[in-house]
Amino acid sequence: MSSSDDRESILSRVRGALAPLHERAARPDYSTEIAVMRKMLGNRDNLTVFTERIALVNGRATTDPTAVVARLRENKWLHGYCDPVLWPSLAPHFGADFKVETTFDRKRVDDYTFGITRAAGAIAETGTIILNDATTSRRLGALAPWVHIAVVERATIFSDLPEAVAGLGTDNNVIWVTGPSKTADVEGILIEGVHGPGIQIALVV
Amino acid sequence: MRFQQIDQFAAELKADTRAAVYQSTKGTHEKRTKLLFDQFGDPNRLRQIAGEIKQHTIENLDTYLPQVEAKLKSNGVQVHWAATAESANAAVLKIMRARNATKIVKAKTMVSEEIELEHYLTKHGVETLETDLGEFIIQIDHDHPSHIVRPIIHKNRREIATSFEREGLGAYNDDPQTITRRARQFLRHKYLEADVGLTGANFVSVESGRMVLVTNEGNSRFCLAATKCHIALIGIEKLVPTDRDLALLLNLLGRSGTAQELTVYTEFIHGPKSATQPDGPEEMHVIFVDNGRTDVLASDCRDILRCIRCGACLNVCPIYRQASGHAYRSVYPGPVGAVLSPLLMGDKFPQKADLPKASTLCGACQEVCPVNIPIPDLLLRLRNKAKEENVPSPGTPPMGAWALLASQPTVWKASLFGGKVINYLPTKLLPIPALRAWEAKRALPEWRGGEFRKWLKTRGKS
Amino acid sequence: MLNTERKPITGKRVQLMATCLCDAFYDDVAAATVQVLEYLGVEVVFPDGQTCCGQPAFNGGDWAASRKVVRHTVKTFAGEDPVVVPSGSCAAMMFHGAVLEFEKEPDLGEVESLGRRTWELGDFIVNGLGVKTWDGRFEATVAFHRSCHSRGTCSSSAASTLLGSVAGLKLVEFGEAEQCCGFGGTFSVAFPKISASMGELKLEHVRASKPDVLVSGDMSCMMHLGGLAKEAGQPIKTMHLAQVLRDALKNGGKL
Repeated sequence: MSSSDDRESILSRVRGALAPLHERAARPDYSTEIAVMRKMLGNRDNLTVFTERIALVNGRATTDPTAVVARLRENKWLHGYCDPVLWPSLAPHFGADFKVETTFDRKRVDDYTFGITRAAGAIAETGTIILNDATTSRRLGALAPWVHIAVVERATIFSDLPEAVAGLGTDNNVIWVTGPSKTADVEGILIEGVHGPGIQIALVV
Repeated sequence: MRFQQIDQFAAELKADTRAAVYQSTKGTHEKRTKLLFDQFGDPNRLRQIAGEIKQHTIENLDTYLPQVEAKLKSNGVQVHWAATAESANAAVLKIMRARNATKIVKAKTMVSEEIELEHYLTKHGVETLETDLGEFIIQIDHDHPSHIVRPIIHKNRREIATSFEREGLGAYNDDPQTITRRARQFLRHKYLEADVGLTGANFVSVESGRMVLVTNEGNSRFCLAATKCHIALIGIEKLVPTDRDLALLLNLLGRSGTAQELTVYTEFIHGPKSATQPDGPEEMHVIFVDNGRTDVLASDCRDILRCIRCGACLNVCPIYRQASGHAYRSVYPGPVGAVLSPLLMGDKFPQKADLPKASTLCGACQEVCPVNIPIPDLLLRLRNKAKEENVPSPGTPPMGAWALLASQPTVWKASLFGGKVINYLPTKLLPIPALRAWEAKRALPEWRGGEFRKWLKTRGKS
Repeated sequence: MLNTERKPITGKRVQLMATCLCDAFYDDVAAATVQVLEYLGVEVVFPDGQTCCGQPAFNGGDWAASRKVVRHTVKTFAGEDPVVVPSGSCAAMMFHGAVLEFEKEPDLGEVESLGRRTWELGDFIVNGLGVKTWDGRFEATVAFHRSCHSRGTCSSSAASTLLGSVAGLKLVEFGEAEQCCGFGGTFSVAFPKISASMGELKLEHVRASKPDVLVSGDMSCMMHLGGLAKEAGQPIKTMHLAQVLRDALKNGGKL
């Protein structure tokens, strides 16, 4: 019993199942505009909407790196990972109390309380940060630490879902991140920070 | 058995389980409705179009399946086909053996429940670990999910805390946050020790070959960041024609299933990891699974294959709320399950022919379905199928005699007048099951057969 | 959702489908339906050979038995006049259910034709005849129960329009209104525990809004809810839409 035998039997059963249909249901013609929250967007610029919407899913967007560093310091999240490409421009904002590595050692995954990586874009409508393989230096660096800081270039913020889908590109692993990880599995009570980050920040540059 | 199994199950369900299920489903349903109607001008039109997209897709699977296979292959994905549960399990095992791999971390996939993957792999020395919190708890309890999106909707925190203690995950603590943190801590090391990440897929775009995974916890991301090989088990009906269609479907899926605009993580997986990315699978396999779907496609209930597994129908269904998921004895419970589960049984249909009867045909499910599946019509078709196959149906009065009566006006009118005798009989003692069942909880109205026709005649009209 | 396209109304005569429930238990509902229609200047014809719309057998899956009854109904209601029925579920059976079970039958066309001229009462008054306000007076707080078979039709909005326009009548909302009452035909006797639980839950919500009377366009729901309430020792007053409209006319001296 091989996969190619199964392929033939499945496809032949599919053909047989559909043969009696006199006509096949047509693809509907529709505008993706129906799937956009146009009223909410209004005429506002993408950064304004993005900042508002990411807060609604309990993430945070800011253009101020010193505020981000202050928050890390306040919570004693001092040991982290940063994309080596980003580090030169971010290093001046961090003090000597921090220990930031530009390599990620998966054997010491619990050492990293924060991870800073580049985003590929964002979506204003839903407060979503877009990650992909090309811009994320280490998948684990964006995922495993408690805090993830995604550096988003302002010009890469899409307005809405249809635009973002059109802009998916050819990257093998595009991830839309909409707030910190969460679950409501235990009695429907919302808990943030499950396997992914419990704090999701977008640093917009 | 005089009554239906599902009714019996509902009667015996613990009150606090019913309360948990009721509150959860009602809450999600009401939030879903508010969100859709606040945010979109015409949500019912969205559902209608999404339904047309999916119906078109399933009615053209003969074209789309070979197309998506070619696209996946050109994206560097290895494509396998599994006609049955056995061949799906064997295909997974073959990939594991080829890699000398023995540890799988898996994200939620209902297909893996259908084929009983964990049971098979354990027998063959492969360890599978569930990583979705709810599924993890199901696994350590040797239980079954009772909802397709909220697997432990039937459990309370005390039960979970007891299980965690039993498994050595810490002293008894039923605080939901503590439970979640403990799972986080335990599982992250397991991801890093595993060989293979196994997932399902919510959609596969034929145009680009992208598969879409929709989650909240970050577990599927971790499966695909920590391991070197990705296996995706995908039902053949999960295709959508183009990427463009994904925007509409994703807008509906989150809102319908969990009252979220989008789930936290929406992953668009186009192949194994990019060459420049250190983390992630170097090898990606898609196993397209039939396991009865072609039977459903051949039936007059093929519309059910539109289902995108959101769970909205479960959340609004009054029978689901009273009985809970386990009452359906199937991987797929609720309204979608009442159609899909009996059909996936193939010629063992009679074993689940009672599922479509567990419904008042109220239509609430159809009204919330993001792909507009006419579930009540499909339930009716399956009831007809059960009748034609002479499947016994406890509690349902036989209709043959009724039909005779109702097609003979003289006999009908005589019965109307003659039926008056019921008013004088101790009906609760009569050996007529339907009457007994009614009167156990309800008063019988007074029989007034013939009175209307008399009224018409005596006022000079007829 | 449901096939609700109706043939336009010409003329002033209708055939009345009384429903088997009214024929057996609720003669006053059928009578009120006649009185209400006649008040609107409509001539009501009652084909004497009528029995049942065939829904019980259809819902139970015995489509062969149901088709027998539907064929008899098609014969009984021969003609071109609109057929008016004081029941959302019987109306839906005629224009949707029957069409489904006849999809492979040679006489599908006749069944479809009857379906296209079948109207639930409230829908007929408001959307067929264009009457949107109701004369008379009905001093009561009314909770209106939307039967499930009116999903996807204009029946419940028609009923709300009419009831809301009656002088003295106060319509109240209640929680979980979209949830089924639990009758479901043979469901009520094949799944008696779930059916009763659903009904009790509905009654709880209805009682919380403190209505004087519970009104519906379907006696099946009222038979179930009223029966549950009575057996539990807490009877609730139930009425059909037709009875409220007729009584409003009587109270207003119009009848």
